[in-house]
Amino acid sequence: MSANDALLRLVDASFGYGAMPIVRGVSLEVVPGELVALLGSNGSGKTTLVRGLLGLLPPLAGRVERSPRLRLGYVPQRETLDPLYPLSGFDVVLLGACRDLPFYRPTGAPERERTRSALEAVRAVAFSGRRYGQLSGGQRQRILIARALATQPTALVLDEPTAGVDPETEKAIVEVLQELRTEHRLAVWMVTHQLEAVIGRVDRTLVLEEGRLQSGRGA
Amino acid sequence: MELLFGPGLLFRNAVIGGLCVAIVCSLLGVYLVLRRLVLLGVALPQAGAAGIAAAFWISAHAHQPGGAHTGALLGSLVATFGALGLLVAGQRSGRSPAEWGVGALFAIASSATVLFVALNPSGDLEVTNMLRGELLTVSDADLLALLVASALSLALFFSFRREILLASFDAEFARTIGRNPARADALLFGLLGGAIALGVMEAGPLVVFGFLVLPPLAALRVAPGLGAAMAIAAAIGAVCSLGGFSLAYRADLPTGPTSVALAAVFWLALTAFARWRARPGRRASPRAAGLVALVLCVVAALGCGLVFGMEPAAPPLSRGTLPDLAGRGPVAVARFRNATGVPLRIESGNPLRELPRVIGRGSGEEWTVTDALQAQASHELALRDIAVSGFEADRAAMTSVPQDAASAATLARDGGVTGPVLFGCLRRFTVTGTGLLLVHLDLSLVDSSSGDVLWTGQARGPFSVRSALTTRELLVDAAPAIFAQAFDAD
Repeated sequence: MSANDALLRLVDASFGYGAMPIVRGVSLEVVPGELVALLGSNGSGKTTLVRGLLGLLPPLAGRVERSPRLRLGYVPQRETLDPLYPLSGFDVVLLGACRDLPFYRPTGAPERERTRSALEAVRAVAFSGRRYGQLSGGQRQRILIARALATQPTALVLDEPTAGVDPETEKAIVEVLQELRTEHRLAVWMVTHQLEAVIGRVDRTLVLEEGRLQSGRGA
Repeated sequence: MELLFGPGLLFRNAVIGGLCVAIVCSLLGVYLVLRRLVLLGVALPQAGAAGIAAAFWISAHAHQPGGAHTGALLGSLVATFGALGLLVAGQRSGRSPAEWGVGALFAIASSATVLFVALNPSGDLEVTNMLRGELLTVSDADLLALLVASALSLALFFSFRREILLASFDAEFARTIGRNPARADALLFGLLGGAIALGVMEAGPLVVFGFLVLPPLAALRVAPGLGAAMAIAAAIGAVCSLGGFSLAYRADLPTGPTSVALAAVFWLALTAFARWRARPGRRASPRAAGLVALVLCVVAALGCGLVFGMEPAAPPLSRGTLPDLAGRGPVAVARFRNATGVPLRIESGNPLRELPRVIGRGSGEEWTVTDALQAQASHELALRDIAVSGFEADRAAMTSVPQDAASAATLARDGGVTGPVLFGCLRRFTVTGTGLLLVHLDLSLVDSSSGDVLWTGQARGPFSVRSALTTRELLVDAAPAIFAQAFDAD
């Protein structure tokens, strides 16, 4: 993979809150068509690194280089979303499809079409009419992946997408991510603390320990 | 009906003002509930009430229409937004749970309200009325401000509804797609603060809190989607506002709490319906449920309309000294003559009608105290079980103001009136600085065919109008007593 292909590059970057760095001296590249698992135990700095990748935290040190082709799609932990909202799965995905829509323009046919395509890509059409709060964990995860996909990203970042789901659902979710990597040539980065969920299924794993990237290896 | 919506209406401002508060609060309240900030809905209105009480105290308000109201509005705005700012700052520091600050705010604002009222020697009645949610005293200026603010709020809310939803549902995702959730939050809380500050001015903290919470809770029980939840909440708010006013009018209850009680009935009914629907084996059909809620609203609205259309079920009042008019046909009421030397104009309840006058291009008929008294006379006769031809018919039949009873009979005859005609001449209509209305009204009932005088009566004397701030409110307070004295005195 050529360095010029990189959508995002961290060079000796540190991220944290206030002046306190939590992730230190990280160098990595996000390239298209690669499925990467970022592993680490609780408190290792995974979420901080994800926030740095997403641009939600500025680097405290080092450099962040973003390609003009970079469009990040983010899939948060599904527990962070309130099921009280009376939104259907389709409504949730539609929010992502409106990424480039100015506030004064109502959603139209192109946004709805993009929503349908995203739902089809993650095989979530069947339950997309149901209320988001009434879906199972795996179904919600697919809806959130579809929402990120509807933003027409070049890179997907997923925070604990397989947490709290049964092994079958976990396998299905990773399969969807593999398809997105292959068919849409997306860079897919997933954060997880479950090594067994990704072993043998991803192109590369990175391990974060106490705020430092310890290793990188092929699957 | 005429009392509420007719041109001489006595409650139109209150009805329209109440509708504005109900619709805007119910709509914005959906987000307050979804964001689990219901406690904010009780604390902020209380802060607004404390601000108003403080403004009344500072201005030592007694009866100074206009200036004191502006001060109270400023007090409400400053207190509401000040409290909101403090809560946001406290939450950003992240040192304590948000509800701690909200609870403290409610306790402080509640005690401050009571203390400011206690410290104010002359303005307690107004503040007490406000705290009770007595919607009857909405001035034209207040209504205009409320209409403009409501329209602006709704326009902003609908323009930025997607940004507000993104910021509320998933702020982090919003940031990753280039949105600014902090700005959307600022807009939402700005709209909430404005609606609460103005709503408390018009309807009191209890009503504002009630409408912020109950219609959204009821709507969220059955709505199939967010848009439907907002539509249903606004519809419930509107129906409860109108229905509450109607019930309060008939049962002589405070209007605001009656409206809130009606909203509570909606919430309980829809909650029971939602639970019944969710029983095992019953197929959930959210769209059908939404439809049921809308049908409920329509039925309730029709019911309110019927209630509005009915006269109060109270027994007819005593005729007093009025003669028996059986067989003489319905009584027409001629236009009353204004002999006070003062125009006694009443500002229109519709602010749009006021605009031409404000810019110096006023034209056409202007509503005056004598017109309102003519309308009230017709109403009072009907309350005494006397057949009347009706205010609108009388206005159409007699288009000019007679000088005396004889010319009233002539005018009536020329206008096709065959029965008796009541004529009034207003000689005094003055408000004293001590909250008294000094009135001198002469009434004559003449036979339109023969010109014979059938009856004369008079209302003279001071009438207490302590809580009235506008001419319209003066009439609400005093008109029934004026006619009671004129008709009933021996």
